[in-house]
Amino acid sequence: MNKTILLGAALAFALAAPAAMAQGAAAGDAAKGRDKTQMCQGCHGIEGWRTAYPEVYRVPRIGGQHEAYLVKALQEYRSGERSHPSMRGIAASLSDQDMADLAAYYAQAGAKGVAK
Amino acid sequence: MRMNQRLLIVIAAVAALGAAVDVAAADLAAGKAKAAEVCAACHGVDGNSATADFPRLGGQHPDYLAKALRDYKSGQRKNAIMAGFAQGLSKQDVENVAAYYGSQPVVVSTRH
Repeated sequence: MNKTILLGAALAFALAAPAAMAQGAAAGDAAKGRDKTQMCQGCHGIEGWRTAYPEVYRVPRIGGQHEAYLVKALQEYRSGERSHPSMRGIAASLSDQDMADLAAYYAQAGAKGVAK
Repeated sequence: MRMNQRLLIVIAAVAALGAAVDVAAADLAAGKAKAAEVCAACHGVDGNSATADFPRLGGQHPDYLAKALRDYKSGQRKNAIMAGFAQGLSKQDVENVAAYYGSQPVVVSTRH
């Protein structure tokens, strides 16, 4: 009887733990994200700022972009799937939580943050 | 002085070469038609995609959008869905579509 309960408890824990951990990492805090933008503002906070290397084009506008897309972009820079040198360096220094927080912050920026 | 003249000639030559290689100016109407046909199902007609996985393009810088499309086309940026669509676009299509979405009301913006 006890064995059955133990087994059931272990099973329940095994099923629940990964789900709880996944949820913990996924939630972004926009207020915390705002405090982490120092590395972003030098390019993404300046309207019309251009990349210098390896190709010259204006850095993307990210205020109001979808949160999930922003997280994915950062993850792809970190993994090397996306290759921009500056973004790879910056993304490599970010934790999953940093990425979630930054994405939450920029996603809610929206049209009210429109560049002058 | 002589050095400066030489430098000027080189700069002029490079500029001329760049202009010659460049595609024709973007055609917004053609870009809109192509966007409606190829891009709109996911990114929206005005670039305001309703699905979180697909980036919003409205008001994005056209040179960034064109660069993204070129990278998808060349395979430098890897995405199974976008690779397929980018393959179907000519150089002129890329310029047109990028200019069209860039001209739409700002959905994404520079955050201060």
